Amino acid sequence: MNVMRFDTQQCERIRRQLDAYLSNELLVETTSDVLRHLEGCEACSRELESRTKLRDALRKAAPSQLPPERLRQTIHQNLRKTQPGFWAKLETRNWVLAVAMVTVVLCAAVLGQRWYHLQQRRRLVANILSLGVSDHLHCAIQGHHYPDVANPPEQLRKKLGPEYAGLLGVVQQKLPDFQVLEAHICSVPGSPRKYIHFITRGRGTILSVILTKRGGVSLPGGRLLLAGVSGGVPLYHARLSGMEVVGFQYKDYLGFAVSDLGRNEMLQVAEGLAPALETGLSAGSESEDLGITIFRPRALQWRESSGA
Amino acid sequence: MFFRPNMHVEEFEAAALPHLEDLYRTARLLAHDPSEAEDLVQEVYLEAWKSYHRFEPGTNCRAWLFKIMFHRLHHFRRRWIKAERIQPFESQQQDNIMADPEVPEEIRDGDILQALERVPIEFREIVMLADVEEFAYKEIAATLRIPLGTVMSRLSRGRKLLRQQLAAVARSYGIGQEQPRQRQGESA
Repeated sequence: MNVMRFDTQQCERIRRQLDAYLSNELLVETTSDVLRHLEGCEACSRELESRTKLRDALRKAAPSQLPPERLRQTIHQNLRKTQPGFWAKLETRNWVLAVAMVTVVLCAAVLGQRWYHLQQRRRLVANILSLGVSDHLHCAIQGHHYPDVANPPEQLRKKLGPEYAGLLGVVQQKLPDFQVLEAHICSVPGSPRKYIHFITRGRGTILSVILTKRGGVSLPGGRLLLAGVSGGVPLYHARLSGMEVVGFQYKDYLGFAVSDLGRNEMLQVAEGLAPALETGLSAGSESEDLGITIFRPRALQWRESSGA
Repeated sequence: MFFRPNMHVEEFEAAALPHLEDLYRTARLLAHDPSEAEDLVQEVYLEAWKSYHRFEPGTNCRAWLFKIMFHRLHHFRRRWIKAERIQPFESQQQDNIMADPEVPEEIRDGDILQALERVPIEFREIVMLADVEEFAYKEIAATLRIPLGTVMSRLSRGRKLLRQQLAAVARSYGIGQEQPRQRQGESA
């Protein structure tokens, strides 16, 4: 070894790097610097020797701490007692898929439930609208209880009674294309419900405008169920027994416009009628007993008696 | 499809049990007594088995097991570890007074292990990982979850402390007691 003189600062710098040199963690260039210094510096070489000796002694002494054989056996037994849980077996990436699938299933369940409720409410709307359709079919279509020539308005007002006489003008005004042939109070066999029934003719067909007291019946709310809104009155539509029916609901009454015209035509008719009828109804005073003779079609009366 | 295939305990044992001696050796030098070291190693294997689905085949199983062990060790440090700490001021003084003491010519296994036990735990664990288990600095940093610079400084200080403690052990046997006087004589 060529012993050379190094200043103290250089030795201190090299000694700071000796730990990393000992652990083989120095860069190649730095290792070369250290080696060059060690070749010429006896003091630093002795220091490295001491540190290496200490490390080797520790490395030699530590393996004397061998595990007892029973430890291996205990671990072996414990591992067999403990199986990874269900969730631990799931692949991490499949967690995402599993969560996505659960989300889809939950969304489908929620949407399915909403769709089911919507269908239920649609069925309820159809059941309520069928009240108007059944009166139109029984009284106007099957019973043909209207004259070929329209009855005089005075006679119709008399049939309607003082409470509803005013509605005749409303119907005539809001259905300019139609002629009111008949207006009366009627009922359908098997039901105590009374209907204020206007039978009109126009556009080559018969159109009924029908009002009845709600009697606890209520059309369900919901944007998806509505066919439109006119003057703040929600309109409901259905096609039942070959007829187009548009229904509307007031505080105490249900109203119907029924005919075999197209859907859009019926909605136009109802848009004009619904708010006007509400005004007409609120102008008259309501009474539980209508106080007039209920019109009951002969054919229906016969059916009732024959049924009895 | 959803389940990791071949989750067999035999596969886990084949990968993990060869490192039992290394784990026990480190645990033994960091825990109070052999029974605590055994408990620790058992816990490491059970935890590793439970989370084996997270282990990526082909990666360093040994480093993974050590990481689990030190995670548990630090979690239960107050219960497990001998908290013999040297006060910073005191250790600073010792550094100044006892800078680079001579390493005894003859080092017995018992002496150096006794000296290692006297080194504070945060330095002892790094000396163990670097000098006995021969982990790279990066692996040690990942295992102990500390910065690389901290690994380097603690290792340097840990080795120095070990050297001082070994000198102290040697002095307790009457070895090397004359050295300071000789040095004083030389300087005088």
